Amino acid sequence: MKLLRLFATSFSLSLRQALAFRANLVFDAVLSVVALASTIATVLVIFSRTTTLAGWTRLEVLVLIGTFELLSGVKTTFVDPNLAGFPTRGVREGRLDHHLLQPAPSMFLVSFATAAPLAGVQILLGLGVVFAGAGELPRFPGAGAFCVWAVLVAAATVTTWAVGMIFASLAFWAPKLDLHSLFGNVWQLARYPADIYARRLRRVFTYVLPLALVASAPARTLARPVDALLVRGAMVTTAAAVLVAILVWRTGLRRYTGASS
Amino acid sequence: MRTGRLLALAVRRQFLEWAGTWWFTASLVVNYAIGPLIGLVVWSAVLPGDARIVRYFVALVAVHLLTASFEDYTFAESVYDGKISARLLEPQPVVLGPAGENLAIRLWLALFGLPLTVVVALVTGATYRWQDVLLALPSLVLAAVLRFLWTWLLALAAFWTERVHAIVALGNILVFLLGGIAAPLADLPASWQSVASLLPFHAMLGLPADIASGTLPASGVALQAGWCVVFALAAVVVWRSGVRRYTAVGA
Repeated sequence: MKLLRLFATSFSLSLRQALAFRANLVFDAVLSVVALASTIATVLVIFSRTTTLAGWTRLEVLVLIGTFELLSGVKTTFVDPNLAGFPTRGVREGRLDHHLLQPAPSMFLVSFATAAPLAGVQILLGLGVVFAGAGELPRFPGAGAFCVWAVLVAAATVTTWAVGMIFASLAFWAPKLDLHSLFGNVWQLARYPADIYARRLRRVFTYVLPLALVASAPARTLARPVDALLVRGAMVTTAAAVLVAILVWRTGLRRYTGASS
Repeated sequence: MRTGRLLALAVRRQFLEWAGTWWFTASLVVNYAIGPLIGLVVWSAVLPGDARIVRYFVALVAVHLLTASFEDYTFAESVYDGKISARLLEPQPVVLGPAGENLAIRLWLALFGLPLTVVVALVTGATYRWQDVLLALPSLVLAAVLRFLWTWLLALAAFWTERVHAIVALGNILVFLLGGIAAPLADLPASWQSVASLLPFHAMLGLPADIASGTLPASGVALQAGWCVVFALAAVVVWRSGVRRYTAVGA
């Protein structure tokens, strides 16, 4: 409860700071709309040459794109502002020292000290595309499918945070290693159905860097009958990612001796 | 001649400065390679067994790396933090600094990225006629100039607004959609094709890849040269207007 209040307070602060510059809100909204329009245009161009992409129809890919945009919005709003600069700001410049002295779990403070609320526009746009795409599907997904979709989106969000946390924690061993930007680049691979990748790559994107679970798994539950095995697999992957993140953070923290030492 | 020497000096200085940031450079290579690589996978799924698609997107990886431009970071940041004030006093055109840094970064991207392109070509079995590759070189040079001028022109918005990264991002969306990453020019719907072939975006990215893969003739370089002149003139006008507006940080 205390952590929830802390999270709400830090988000509220970030929101008030962001809203002080209204023009930026308009700019970010326009940018998000144009970026989404470009992605949808790309999908339409692709489907002007084919009827299915690795077994996915145009509407199914639209649901996938919407889910991806939503999760990208969550990543840009909450994960990137905190973890992207952690190796530099946290470890090399010593901001972590400040977090360690505060009466809250350091992992929580490092993850949720700030936010980029204006990027939240992308979340709303993504939701809009998901509902628009799902509404046009030949078989409208029932409430149950939407519930499973929401659970998988939540699992994907937690997995994304955990992977970001693991990459950030590696800075305890190699402070100059900034893997978050690499994660951001590879993240783009989740924009299309995981089925388009060769089997070996698909295995890497499922078990090593769980990108296949990011957008493809939730979108699949809306487009097709719910696969219990897929849901269980996503839950296990999320739990494993969180456990590894906690383990790597704690091990790294034991190594940490302050920015100047 | 003097300008050439000054540019070479700027390239050398920036090349050495970037030598210590190999990890960042590697992540930039991934950043610039990932778009064409996704395009390769997607379009290979759409048109399986089409060797043209493979040749095009592998060539596009190299073109995207060799035409990469970052003036929204290198130049625009110098406007925001006021470092441009000192450069305005130097007895040389200010553009030489960003142009030198641009070329130095591209050299580093080539060092890291071209071996990656060769590996992708070997894995995918992409093969090229050497005549097509040679024909693509002038187009590649013009595309590199055009991409720099386009980004530089957008980065000059730093004199008026703090949202230059968003402006360049908008510009990059156009390059992505109409430049040949989202789809090769030949695979765009017919109505888009005619528009995209005349706009500068295909000229700054997809054209050299199309020529190298034997899809389009080299005659498109005339259009590229024309767009270079247009953007250069626009950059001069906007630069003069921007400098008149600029008041040093703290002033």
